[in-house]
Amino acid sequence: MNKFLSLLIKPILLIALVLLSAAAFAVEHSAQLPDTLPENLNWQTNNKDPIFADPNALRGGRFRSFITSFPLTLRLVGPDSNGSFAGYMRANNLSLVGIHPNTLNPIPELASHWAFGSDGRSIYYRLDPDARWSDGRPVTADDYLFAMEFMRSKYILAPWYNNYYQEIIADLVKYDEHTIGILGAVAKPQDEMLFEYSISPVPAHAHKLDENWVRESNWKIAPNTGPYQISEIRKGKYIEFARKKDWWGNNKQYFKYRYNPDFVRIKLIRDLNIAYQYFRKGELDTFPLIQPRLWHKKAQGRIYDHGYVGKIKFYNDVPQPISGLFLNEDSPPLNDRRVRYALAHSLNIERVINTVLHGDYERLQTAHDGYGDYSNPNIHARPFNIDLANKLLDEAGWDTRNAEGIRTKDGQTLEIRITYYSAAHNDRLVILAQEAQKTGFKLDLQLLDPSAAFKQILENKHQAAWMAWSGGGLSPRYWEFYHSENAHKPQTNNITNTDNPEMDSKIEAYRKATSKTERVALAHELEQLVYEQGSFIPTFKVPYTREAFWRWIKLPAEYGTRTSDSLFSVMGEGLFWIDETDKQLTLEAREHNELLAPINLEDSRWRTP
Amino acid sequence: MVGYFLRRLLLVIPTFIGISLLVFTITRVVPGGPIERLMTQAQLGGETGGLTRSQSSGSTLSDEQMEELKHYYGFDKPLLAGYAEWLGKVIQFDLGTSTRYQDPVWDIIKERFPVSIFYGLSTMILTYLVCIPLGIFKGMYHGSRFDSLSSAVVFLGYALPSYVIGIALISAFAGYFDWFPLGGFVSDDFAEFGFWQKTTDIFHHAVLPLIAYLAGSFAVTTLMMKNALMDNMSADYMRTATAKGLMRGEAIRGHALRNSLIPIATSFGNNISLLISGSFLIETIFNIDGIGLLGYEAVIERDYPIVMGILVISSILYLVGNILSDICVALVDPRIRFGESRT
Amino acid sequence: MISLLSNPVSQKRWRRFRQSRRGFASACILLLLTLLSIGAELLASNRALIVYYQGHLHFPTYGSVISGREFGLDYDYETNYRDLQTSFAAAPEDNNWLIMPLIPFSPLESDLIAGDFPPHAPSVSSKHYLGTDTSGRDVLARLIYGFRTALLFSVCLLIFNYIVGVAIGCLMGYWGGRFDLFFQRVIEIWSNIPFLYVIMIVASVITPGFWTLLLIMAFFGWTGMTWYMRTAAYKEASRDYVMAARALGASGSRIMFRHILPNSVSTLVTFVPFSVASGITSLTALDYLGFGLPSPTPSWGELLKQGTENMESIWMVGAVVTAMTVILMLVAFIGEAIRDAYDPKQFSYYE
Repeated sequence: MNKFLSLLIKPILLIALVLLSAAAFAVEHSAQLPDTLPENLNWQTNNKDPIFADPNALRGGRFRSFITSFPLTLRLVGPDSNGSFAGYMRANNLSLVGIHPNTLNPIPELASHWAFGSDGRSIYYRLDPDARWSDGRPVTADDYLFAMEFMRSKYILAPWYNNYYQEIIADLVKYDEHTIGILGAVAKPQDEMLFEYSISPVPAHAHKLDENWVRESNWKIAPNTGPYQISEIRKGKYIEFARKKDWWGNNKQYFKYRYNPDFVRIKLIRDLNIAYQYFRKGELDTFPLIQPRLWHKKAQGRIYDHGYVGKIKFYNDVPQPISGLFLNEDSPPLNDRRVRYALAHSLNIERVINTVLHGDYERLQTAHDGYGDYSNPNIHARPFNIDLANKLLDEAGWDTRNAEGIRTKDGQTLEIRITYYSAAHNDRLVILAQEAQKTGFKLDLQLLDPSAAFKQILENKHQAAWMAWSGGGLSPRYWEFYHSENAHKPQTNNITNTDNPEMDSKIEAYRKATSKTERVALAHELEQLVYEQGSFIPTFKVPYTREAFWRWIKLPAEYGTRTSDSLFSVMGEGLFWIDETDKQLTLEAREHNELLAPINLEDSRWRTP
Repeated sequence: MVGYFLRRLLLVIPTFIGISLLVFTITRVVPGGPIERLMTQAQLGGETGGLTRSQSSGSTLSDEQMEELKHYYGFDKPLLAGYAEWLGKVIQFDLGTSTRYQDPVWDIIKERFPVSIFYGLSTMILTYLVCIPLGIFKGMYHGSRFDSLSSAVVFLGYALPSYVIGIALISAFAGYFDWFPLGGFVSDDFAEFGFWQKTTDIFHHAVLPLIAYLAGSFAVTTLMMKNALMDNMSADYMRTATAKGLMRGEAIRGHALRNSLIPIATSFGNNISLLISGSFLIETIFNIDGIGLLGYEAVIERDYPIVMGILVISSILYLVGNILSDICVALVDPRIRFGESRT
Repeated sequence: MISLLSNPVSQKRWRRFRQSRRGFASACILLLLTLLSIGAELLASNRALIVYYQGHLHFPTYGSVISGREFGLDYDYETNYRDLQTSFAAAPEDNNWLIMPLIPFSPLESDLIAGDFPPHAPSVSSKHYLGTDTSGRDVLARLIYGFRTALLFSVCLLIFNYIVGVAIGCLMGYWGGRFDLFFQRVIEIWSNIPFLYVIMIVASVITPGFWTLLLIMAFFGWTGMTWYMRTAAYKEASRDYVMAARALGASGSRIMFRHILPNSVSTLVTFVPFSVASGITSLTALDYLGFGLPSPTPSWGELLKQGTENMESIWMVGAVVTAMTVILMLVAFIGEAIRDAYDPKQFSYYE
């Protein structure tokens, strides 16, 4: 539904990668883009893949949704631009190339064609001459030149963007009004280059870059390239978007039949329980129901039984967050592999799933799930097994138990401190801690607020961290998490402090490889090594989205796509539409308490085994 | 007497400096400030997996970049210099700029004043209107069944968290019966309404939150009133009054009542600062943009200029309120003469 | 202290206290509840009270963990006594038996009923008399243990606040002057620091334990008592007998300890019930907001929070709110009775 909500609702708070400076691994920085466009470029595009929108879609109506905190800014970058509302703003900020949600092939967005340079690092784009800003001006190569200047500027107060546009994207050159070239810092496989260098333009005519930029553009509605633009803001109440009357993308192959509501009103409702009351009354059109409690207990009653409101559970196939328990190998007794294995065998994840999670979540088997070929399907997480854990611990010398039943060794008790940052996870951890006592582990639960927890973890002061890194990207990343270069030092993603020469060499090979088969083979081997290292214990995944919607909200025949993380993201995929006649019928039926056919949908087309 | 109050007024200054310096120090010393928040936020991704590009979560920051951030948030100055600068601005009625809203703190607070004062004042008036008679009644019939029963009701209201009351009220009267709106201070189209419509709109929206506010506020004042009355009923002058032949009711009304109001008057000063606080839980549920919620969010999100701004206003109100309650007490109790003996 | 209790005034007060039927009954109930919560392990625990196994008696309630092997089970970890009871009952010829407490669950233990997801509704057959919370822990057991924690917490808090308050307050009242003025300012500053703010910040940086929390609360709690003691001492100091004692050449400390303290402290007793109640409510409020004792400590606030997040399962909110109301009422009635008992000029307008 929106970023903040999914943050609340999804099983884990997601923390994105602290991408490490690619420069540390960078090859020669000296290479440049040629001054003139190379002659022999092989321009590619994609108009062969099937469209994923439904031609029956009806345009019109007002879609009503909600956010739980009012945005602090309308800027796309700078302080507080990452809040719950940012998703709506970013969705209207198109990039060069998109990804087909079913085939995962590139599809045109602002660029109609693209071509790869021979050095493996450069990529060329031809901009779609039809592309327009919301104020009518064409999108040109100059907007990209300004984007580079803008993103590298210190006035935007976004140091991470600054770094990205300096260290990942080495250069950008304009060849003519509609042709640009981008040079990456390192050689990469072509699909990764398309994906990562597909940046967004910034309209030079709408920004004045100086030290007041952050404040002055805070509430300014900047021109955008997407289908919607903000039409009204009532601070502390709602924000309304209107669909552009003649949006340039209307008849483009992959934009057609999408973004159907004419208006989108996003209301501020601070409390989820109250938001549900709005939905129940019909003042919101859809409601996310990922939480087991909402799905099983709250979303019941007349409006569902009489068919006014439908429920859908839709399996998707996207990179899953790397969620689980990260063990710090620098912190004894976790430096002992046997203890790490024993801990994995002592965590009764199944029991948590089948009780407090209502059997809804699934066990995450490996660190990298949902990456298609890259994921290694032969690895299975260590199951809860008391005998195995006991055996390992006895071997490791933890063979005596104290009066509380906790194992001891040389006067030390087998205590593991678990750092976590979501009070909503109390009930899960409490069950795990209790079950772990059976094998003689004592788990101390330390709840901190997210920034304090994150700080502690990045400084390697944790013993075990209960957290989730967001997945994303096209292929798994190993260097950040497991290379010894990042071990034993603060502010890196290697929070397990894995330091294994065998893994190092494989990771380096993986980073250098540009052929997919080679990378896939290496990823499978690396995943096996991660499993043997035992410093990451995978926990849960939620490979689906669950939502409730009023009957007048219509979904395409296939409901969603392989990568739909929400079926009703109006500006994301925007596949649904509003049927006004059905709305009247449904409201009348509700008035007269008539029975309509209940809607209970489940789709597991994209469910991965 | 005037001299006493003048001295009290002057003493407000060192106290105010003490309070603000202390809190200012806390904001500086405690980790998790706006910069750490920014860093965590940049690394916090909301979307569940999916095909996300993470340009915003870049590499670790260089020292230079950190310095720039510190400069932006004003953390580059030493503690006392920073405080002096802040205080200097406050004297010129400049509370600074919010680090989250990018707007002047005073504008943000000012915007929320009417809402908070409306609820604060209504709650205060209704509380006194209910609690004073109830307390008197309970005092007069101490130990009776009414006394026990009303205690039970008042304590039940006190023990129920306002969140529970709020959700229950909304689910029943706004969700199920549709008698009241689901929240907000006014309707979305408030600006287009006429005067009469505006008034009814405000009250229509206010009924449920007011009940939630009131439920928890009866216990303290009622008991205070009852206890004060009972203290006075056993005083010597009441004995005299009865000896004079006054009926019980007359004696209470004529003598005990006025004296029993003293503690209520003393607490009145404190309540002035409560006027602008408000409960963030109730404001969250009913979608009211009040000061309580603003302050709570500012602390959670480490928006220090707002934290300090609210502190300035609430502590001034509190300090002035203290003096006011002294005046109230002097008005109600003729025996008290401030400043004549050592106080 | 002994003399305080045995002197005729105290005895008279005690008599008067007992005469207030409502207050006395409340005191008895509260005392009973306190005693029950102190012996909570005998009331609610997953350990058996007595196990008779192969001719030997075991008392597992207090003391170390007894491994399942002791009772012929095939595991090393702590015996599951409820299962043991079932297996004993299934084989009556072995003559083994055990007695479980009334509530056979520990407050930390998740009892997950097959075929149902927690929170489980109250039921006599499952022995969850008030149901379970979202992790399947017994609500009644958590209520009892939570009460014990809260009570212990507020008693410690009270002792600390009274010691600091009485000491500083007495000095302020007795010495007056600059000392008084200085501490007046300190108190004013103190009572203006947003208490919740400090707690929130501390809780976000460390996980506060019992003693950390107590320290923070005490840090802010002492001002009220100090203020009261200051007034009381000030009043006493200007009384004739103190003047007389001074004229007779009594030293400052003697006046303080022999005259001022006993006379003002005796009135402090009237505050005790309210201080205890406010300690319990503030701890509950903090736990409710998530800034209190760490998980999985049983606490009323945490239960209340779960309850408000799961209003469909009304038994959680219901249990805590009822318990809280009862405690507050008991305390109020006791407080009134104590006040009546201390009132020297009991007037006949109320009996």
